[in-house]
Amino acid sequence: MMELIRLTKAYKGVPAVRDVSLVVQEDEYLTLLGPSGSGKTTLLRLLSGLEKPDAGQIHLNGEDVTYRPPYLRGLGIVQQNYALFPHLSVEDNVAFGLRYRLIDPVTDDSEVKRRVAETLELVGLTGFGGRMVGQISGGQKQRVSLARTLVTRPKICLLDEPLGALDANLRERMTVELRKIRATLGVTFLHVTGNETEALAMGDRMVVLDKGGIVQADRPDAIFSAPSDVRVARFVNTYNVLTGSGQDSVFRTADQLVSLPEEAHGREVGFYAIRQDSVEIDAAGTVPEPGRTSLQATYITSEFLGSRFIYIFRLPDGGVFEVERHLSHSDPVTYKGGETCSLSWNLADALVFDPSGAALETNAFKGAA
Amino acid sequence: MDGAAVETPIASSVPSRDGPGFFQRHGHLLLLAPGVIWMILFLVIPLAMMVYVSFWTQTTFAIKPDLTLKSWTTFFASETYFGALLRTLRIWLTVLFLTFLFGYPTALYIGQFVRNKTVQTILLVACVIPFWTSFLIRVLAWRPMLGKEGAINILLQGLGIIDQPIEVLLFTELSVIIGMVQIYVVFMVGPIAFMLARIDDSLFEAARDLGASPMTIFRKITFPLSLPGVVVGAIFVSVMVLGEFATASALSGRKVNLLGNIIVTQVGSLKWAFAAVIGVVLTVVMASVITVLLRVVNLRREL
Amino acid sequence: MNQNTAIRTLLAFYTALFLAFLYGPFVVMAIISFQQGPEGGPQFPIIEWSTFWYQHVLGFAPPSRVAPLPIGEALTRSLTLAFATMVVSTVLGTLTAQAFRTQFKGSGFVFYLVVLGMMVPGVLLGLGMALVSSQFGIDRNWWSTAFVLHVVYTYPFAFLVMLAIFNRFDKSIEEAAWALGVPPGRTFRKITFPMIFPGVLSAMLFAFTLSYDEFPRTLFTGGREVTMPIAIYGTFAVEIHPNLFAFGVLTTLFSFALLTVYGVLMSASVRRARVRATGMQEDVA
Repeated sequence: MMELIRLTKAYKGVPAVRDVSLVVQEDEYLTLLGPSGSGKTTLLRLLSGLEKPDAGQIHLNGEDVTYRPPYLRGLGIVQQNYALFPHLSVEDNVAFGLRYRLIDPVTDDSEVKRRVAETLELVGLTGFGGRMVGQISGGQKQRVSLARTLVTRPKICLLDEPLGALDANLRERMTVELRKIRATLGVTFLHVTGNETEALAMGDRMVVLDKGGIVQADRPDAIFSAPSDVRVARFVNTYNVLTGSGQDSVFRTADQLVSLPEEAHGREVGFYAIRQDSVEIDAAGTVPEPGRTSLQATYITSEFLGSRFIYIFRLPDGGVFEVERHLSHSDPVTYKGGETCSLSWNLADALVFDPSGAALETNAFKGAA
Repeated sequence: MDGAAVETPIASSVPSRDGPGFFQRHGHLLLLAPGVIWMILFLVIPLAMMVYVSFWTQTTFAIKPDLTLKSWTTFFASETYFGALLRTLRIWLTVLFLTFLFGYPTALYIGQFVRNKTVQTILLVACVIPFWTSFLIRVLAWRPMLGKEGAINILLQGLGIIDQPIEVLLFTELSVIIGMVQIYVVFMVGPIAFMLARIDDSLFEAARDLGASPMTIFRKITFPLSLPGVVVGAIFVSVMVLGEFATASALSGRKVNLLGNIIVTQVGSLKWAFAAVIGVVLTVVMASVITVLLRVVNLRREL
Repeated sequence: MNQNTAIRTLLAFYTALFLAFLYGPFVVMAIISFQQGPEGGPQFPIIEWSTFWYQHVLGFAPPSRVAPLPIGEALTRSLTLAFATMVVSTVLGTLTAQAFRTQFKGSGFVFYLVVLGMMVPGVLLGLGMALVSSQFGIDRNWWSTAFVLHVVYTYPFAFLVMLAIFNRFDKSIEEAAWALGVPPGRTFRKITFPMIFPGVLSAMLFAFTLSYDEFPRTLFTGGREVTMPIAIYGTFAVEIHPNLFAFGVLTTLFSFALLTVYGVLMSASVRRARVRATGMQEDVA
């Protein structure tokens, strides 16, 4: 178990990580989602000991390791660029930690060979041990990097955007395999990523980071259905976020009025979010049914994604509004470019946030939680 | 489990309370110490000693640590010594100019016109190969080259260009300059060619597409971008020419005395204080030259 | 485009002339080294072609009025000195460049302090050191006072070479090793050093060559036992003979041989790595 207590780090006066407290459990897959510049790599470097924090503490299984150098922490790190040793073979890369680590090195060569072979098998690289690292593909390098770390049985394995450099196909396969490998070994994975689908797919638990601080930490499905902050709603990329202001029972945005859910009546509202797949498209001017509200927008184009369609609309203020249609639910409809449509949704699906970005309690949140 | 968890943090958090350890904060000092100490002992102290001794009193065969300006007044009052300073500056400027003039076209060809990396390397290695011969032997090889019956005179007479051998070629200031240019020109070619080779080809293509003439491209793109190379080359050449004495003594028949030659003679006759004065003068000249050149280009950034 | 071709041809022609200028004295030197001896001097015309001066250099020629070059001792000293200088300055240069990989206060000062070593003319440094040793009663020897100055001269070159190498070195590779539990010292030996070795080799080559040919610093501080360049410089005062040129040709050929061996070794190690890798691939298939 690793405990982060009020960790803070700044580079030349610019804060990169501020006041981060978090508990990493044993045997869990934790994903850390944040846009670039959110401090996620810095946080990873602090955990691994490659950087020292300005303030705060890191406890590992009850011991304070805040200032302990990386080679005494017993953590593993898989870098974004793999950072393989270019002058060694795959086998020697994987064996490196076992042979030369300060604590508990394995001196018996046959034992090293056995463990290396075992780990190479785990990552699906049996038979590649003799190759030089310059002669394997990007996906294989990724696996070598993972095997090199896992063979040392780290207490926690830190992965820095491990899928970032892979193509889409490989990415999906590795997503499944990483989970499987982790489950086999029972090692905690802390996986840093800037990709929301990756974070959703991988993690048992997910932490959203912005501007160096934790915005939300919860199960991925909870974060997706009930973002605690408008920034989270934006990162997860499945919400249309409208900016404006609430006036009693309505929300004014882009010179249009939409109804607010009952719980938000009379409260200060700054943002209004609605899931892309909760929106219906009707002819312009259609009056919404009771319990629903609507917005007029101009159709621009659509995007076909295999199993679903994304319809893209423009709001009068220039903002973009996306509507997602699953083909299993309805047949695709074609609209003319420039056509005005009425977009409507159930008020119970709407999420509202106060002007500072914090979520206001509504039925939608309760339903999710 | 709980008991252990309570105990360990107390025990282990004590050393870490005052932050990262000494080695982690000051590890670079241990790495720097040997080099810095070496340079202070064997570079800074000798130079400081030189400045100090230049104010000592010179007797016939010894020096005494009684401070005086006598050696300094002798230097600036003497026609010979002050003349040597002027001659050194004159030869330095001439050689600097000529190495640039002769070196630049070659660097331009190697760095910009040869775009094949292998050919580029071969040409650069060809320029460096003469360095495998001892510097002094290379200087001496100019004697049979420039002499009255030397290779150049034989060649020119054989071609019928001249009737009488040219005598000013050897044992004059000209021969010293020819020798120095040949030896040091490579130090000008190398850095310039390096900078030119770094220029992106697309830059020239873009300029040509915009209708720039070769002359304009050279003036507006090539030359400004090669300037750091010119400065680095100029630093190399200046440092070496200003401290020269061997070429002058080998090719001038001891007629051309540079500051370096005078230092050697003075040391030979144990006139330490006087040698030190000339050393300080040379240092001042050198320091101002390098300072001016470093104003133009940041050496650290160009690496 | 035509204009461009014309410029290119002109520059190519100029470069050829330039190389002729660089090699001219060398060619003349090679010709004169075959001058008849011992009467023939270091000038044209060639009285008679002979290999007398080569025999003279190697000590096979009968004794004559021309004193033999002190090849044995002076050359051994020069090589020893160059070797020691090479080792020390490469180690110092690598250490300092390693320190420069992290930002630290006063890095500008240290940088220029080190680079000063190659900027100060040899004659000044030699003079300064001679003054120090004569005032403090330190004996001047090629292996003591001259040696430290050689390092002052070559260490900056080694430092700059290593700095350029480290600038291109990917730090995350070392970090990966630390994270695997391998302490920094062992990481340097097992990972960093093998990776920067080609750079170290060229730094060593630089230092060796510079030290071997160094003489203004050695002149004032080398003491009574001369190195090769000082021995050659000594002949300036008296008459020079073609044996110097024969020696020049021989050393150049020797250097070429070394360079060839170095090139062959480098390409062989590259090939071996390739063979090893492809061989393994076949095993897999």
